[in-house]
Amino acid sequence: MKKYVIPAAAGLVALLLLAAAFAPWIAPYDPTLTELASRLQPPSAGHWLGTDHLGRDMLSRIIWGARASFGAVAMILVLVLTFGCSVGMVAGLAGGVVDAVLMRICDAFMTVPTLVLALFMIGALGTGITNVVVAIALSHWAWYARLVRGVTLSLRQRDHIAAARIAGLSRLAIARRHLLPALAGPLAVLASLDLGHWLLHVAGLSFLGLGLAPPAAEWGIMINDARPFFRSAPLLVLLPGAAILLTVLGCNLLGDALRDRLDPGMPDHLH
Amino acid sequence: MLRFALRRLASLLPLLLLVSFGFFAMLRLGRGDPALDYLRLAQIPPTDAALALARAELGLDRAIPAQYLAWLAEALRGNLGESWFTRRPVLEEITHYLPATLQLAGTAMLVTIAFGVPLGLWAALHRDRWPDHLTRAIAFLGVSLPNFWLGFLFVLVFAVTLGWLPAIGRDGFASIILPALATATMSACVMLRLVRASVLGVLGEPHLRFARARGLPRRTLIGRHVMLNALLPPLTAIGLHLGELMGGAMVVESVFGWPGLGRYALLAIANRDYPVLQGFVLAMTTIFVLCNLVVDIAYAWLDPRIRLEGAA
Amino acid sequence: MLRRRLLQALPALAAPTAGSVQAQAQAQAQAQAQAGRRRLTFSWPSNAGPLHPHLYSPNQMYAQSMLYEPLVRYVEGGGIAPALATAWALEPDGRSWRFALRPGVRFADGTAFDAAAVVANIEAVLRNRPRHAWLALVERIEGVEALDPSTVRLRLKGGYYPTLLELALPRPLRFASPAALRPDGSLAAPIGTGPWMLAETIRGQHDLFRRNPHHWGPKPALEEVLVRVVGDSNARALALEAGEIDLTYGTDQLDGDTFRRFAADRRFTTAISPPIGTRLLAVNASRFPTEELAVRQAIAQGIDRAALVKHVLLDTEPAAETLFAENFPYTGLGLRAPGFDRPAAIARLEAAGWRLPAGGRIRQRDGKALALDLCFTGSDALQKALAEAIQGDLARIGIDGKLIGEDAGTYDGRQRSGEFGMIFGDSWGAPYDPHAFMGSMRAPAHADYQAQRGLPMKEEIDRRITGVLASTEEAVRAAEYRWLLTTLHEQAVYFPVSFLTNKVVHRRELGKVPFGATQTEIPFALIGQG
Repeated sequence: MKKYVIPAAAGLVALLLLAAAFAPWIAPYDPTLTELASRLQPPSAGHWLGTDHLGRDMLSRIIWGARASFGAVAMILVLVLTFGCSVGMVAGLAGGVVDAVLMRICDAFMTVPTLVLALFMIGALGTGITNVVVAIALSHWAWYARLVRGVTLSLRQRDHIAAARIAGLSRLAIARRHLLPALAGPLAVLASLDLGHWLLHVAGLSFLGLGLAPPAAEWGIMINDARPFFRSAPLLVLLPGAAILLTVLGCNLLGDALRDRLDPGMPDHLH
Repeated sequence: MLRFALRRLASLLPLLLLVSFGFFAMLRLGRGDPALDYLRLAQIPPTDAALALARAELGLDRAIPAQYLAWLAEALRGNLGESWFTRRPVLEEITHYLPATLQLAGTAMLVTIAFGVPLGLWAALHRDRWPDHLTRAIAFLGVSLPNFWLGFLFVLVFAVTLGWLPAIGRDGFASIILPALATATMSACVMLRLVRASVLGVLGEPHLRFARARGLPRRTLIGRHVMLNALLPPLTAIGLHLGELMGGAMVVESVFGWPGLGRYALLAIANRDYPVLQGFVLAMTTIFVLCNLVVDIAYAWLDPRIRLEGAA
Repeated sequence: MLRRRLLQALPALAAPTAGSVQAQAQAQAQAQAQAGRRRLTFSWPSNAGPLHPHLYSPNQMYAQSMLYEPLVRYVEGGGIAPALATAWALEPDGRSWRFALRPGVRFADGTAFDAAAVVANIEAVLRNRPRHAWLALVERIEGVEALDPSTVRLRLKGGYYPTLLELALPRPLRFASPAALRPDGSLAAPIGTGPWMLAETIRGQHDLFRRNPHHWGPKPALEEVLVRVVGDSNARALALEAGEIDLTYGTDQLDGDTFRRFAADRRFTTAISPPIGTRLLAVNASRFPTEELAVRQAIAQGIDRAALVKHVLLDTEPAAETLFAENFPYTGLGLRAPGFDRPAAIARLEAAGWRLPAGGRIRQRDGKALALDLCFTGSDALQKALAEAIQGDLARIGIDGKLIGEDAGTYDGRQRSGEFGMIFGDSWGAPYDPHAFMGSMRAPAHADYQAQRGLPMKEEIDRRITGVLASTEEAVRAAEYRWLLTTLHEQAVYFPVSFLTNKVVHRRELGKVPFGATQTEIPFALIGQG
């Protein structure tokens, strides 16, 4: 069973990533090109998945939607990793008061549910994909900081690090040479398990009209835009949702496989 | 026990203060001019005189820490200010909309338990056989479904096509079924896997192997030994689920026209209604923190090791 | 075993609930049929508010107009008809008005409506002047006095021709029972002279209005109006279909597709009102690249207005070629917008030196791209669809329209600061159009001022607007409005899309639903009559 599922998931994600990367070349139409006279058309040879309420090609919009979603998730990943690693390492290496203060701040961020924090941030800073990305990153980095701190602390006790310190290596050098390699595995597992989660958050906030600016094609926005046509043209709602489902499913399956390989001791994926 | 609870509670207060100040500062340092938003919501044209008047009225001419302390002093007395849009006390508005959201999240929690526990148990008892594979597939699908989209599917099938259940509104038991299912799906699937893992863990423990060797009937075995030990960890994860469910409920509300806090918060965002945003985030955080506290205490009560560890 | 029981229980659980929903809906429909024309259920996005006659948000104008009446009321085309005043005249000094009050009018609490009540209300408004600073009339009122119990005089600081129009507004110059007005300006209870009284408010759920037994006018056919709180148009459409509401009425209560769906449904009656305002975009003449007349004219020619009206608005509003519809005062000038002509728009841009770079799709001149910010309110689905369609049209003539959809607050900030290329807005509608809308063009806080700031004749425009508002000569006013509207039209600082209309959908059984003369007033009292 697993034999087929994982390659299939890998293929699916690879396909979506390729679509995202090469959207400008493979999408048959410009995703923002409106053609009012041919609105709400069912699938046809000209438009494989039909057209939306402004006559835009649905297939092209779905392909570009992959680009938007992966782009947002990549930005979240970068933010979370940079922020989480820096704070976690500083806390772990410095210890004492610094550690205590940083961990309190982590606690504060872990206190607030993601969606509540995101809604608030957007209320304070305004709608837009940047604020959505920042909001999601802000509500997740603390978990990474904790993980990194934990690994750092456990490594600090080890002999070879102690030896390196005695040998006069700077903290930065220790971090670079010993910590980062040790962190790579657990971080990769944690992040791969979170990707699908973030994709869902981005889509949900876009659906609420808080994310990406139109006319950019994004799956959550497409679903929201299609609400008035829900009864006359349900495909407009169904297709982008199916795209979200497949992408998240692919990411989750891959994350699970990665965990099995790198870190079988970690708790079950569906955290 | 009481000391444990009080200590936990005491450690939460500074946390809430920190969080509330962070939010306050973020709002005040965010873009735009709150006085302008205030006038817009009051539908008063923003002349310079009106702006100056509004700034003085709202205390915006003072330093942010001073504004925060003023706000905090009022908040501690239960006054979260007045909505700039509806002109009603924020606390009163939140307590008015909160029950609908809590009802939805609470029902979703029941659904989560009602589906997650039996299916997880079923999967664990048939490890590596078809029930296990099936539930695993369901769980993967479930955690990958966008809840708002699932809501639309439900409306399309059960309200529009079959006409069994109402599509929108909050009007009796029938109207909560679809939104609660849409909200609960992800948590139910997570719960399923947690229960499965936990049951498998317990089944592998030596005392069970011994009991089985003693020839205890399977039903007694599962009922008495497995359930009690295996269900504690997943059930105490409920605190974490609650945050997720409240968040999910707020998105799903928008699909079903459910008159809860999510829609109220969205309106506040669209209006940039500062006092409401501030009150909303504080209320939600407090609820979330308190739930986790209750779970912590329950856990400590059930498992004395935690209590002792905390004391050390 | 357990499993079988569970599976058996499931459909049993679902079936009665499903049945009861249908039964409920049926019972409701029957009850409504029996009640005949007695109760109407309407919907609104929020509760009606505390219903202070002189104050603004969260008081909803439709509800204020149900409870409170003006001295005079607006009639389509700019006419004025008697309401609480039966006759009026401008005094010889050219700035004071004398009103004869309707005899025998009582407030809903039984208090008599007389000159003292008028004075009490207007003085309450004047005590709160800063709050009403936006309304020129309030600023100009010097004082008000009772000449005798049925005559009042309103003294103005100077001549102001739209006085009667602004007295007809839904707020602030309407009248609550003096017994309910508190000295601090607040209101003890919402009691007016109008055909309706507020009977009940349940927050987040509904407001209930009941017929006012003391009302002086013809008795409404309806006994009660229940207004349910329904947030969005999708939910409203479902509620209308399910019989949970009887009526939708307004410019945007339903989206175009849904309106068409009801129009095709035999169980419902639909109607579209004459123009009550204008849906338009301001084109910024003080900012690159639209500070150039040729670019503005190319935009005017390059957007397919007919397609927007047909495919986005679904013909629920007529196409607008002018800033104001011709059923408004002083606006019947016969102006016509340039026809949609993409090649001509392109030729105009080419002639102005805007060329397509090799392989590019956005025109350039001197290395600068022909790009502008196209701003709309992010939560407004219709504005969004229009903006996206307009962007498509602009792209086809080589203009890069960057869509900026924001929350209302940021959007308002842009209007104030002029940080937009094109921005959506509605004219203020009757009875504000054209005089009050044009008056606001002089205020820097308005998008109109920002958009026009770059016009070479902006100073003259402002001067003439000020002049026309104080002018007492009908012929002079007509001539001035002609110059103003023609200039704005030729300068292409507005792209009018369509004329706003009230769209009505109701169940056939409801009978006749007439239109109000203004955008905000819903004539519940006339529904089902005759």
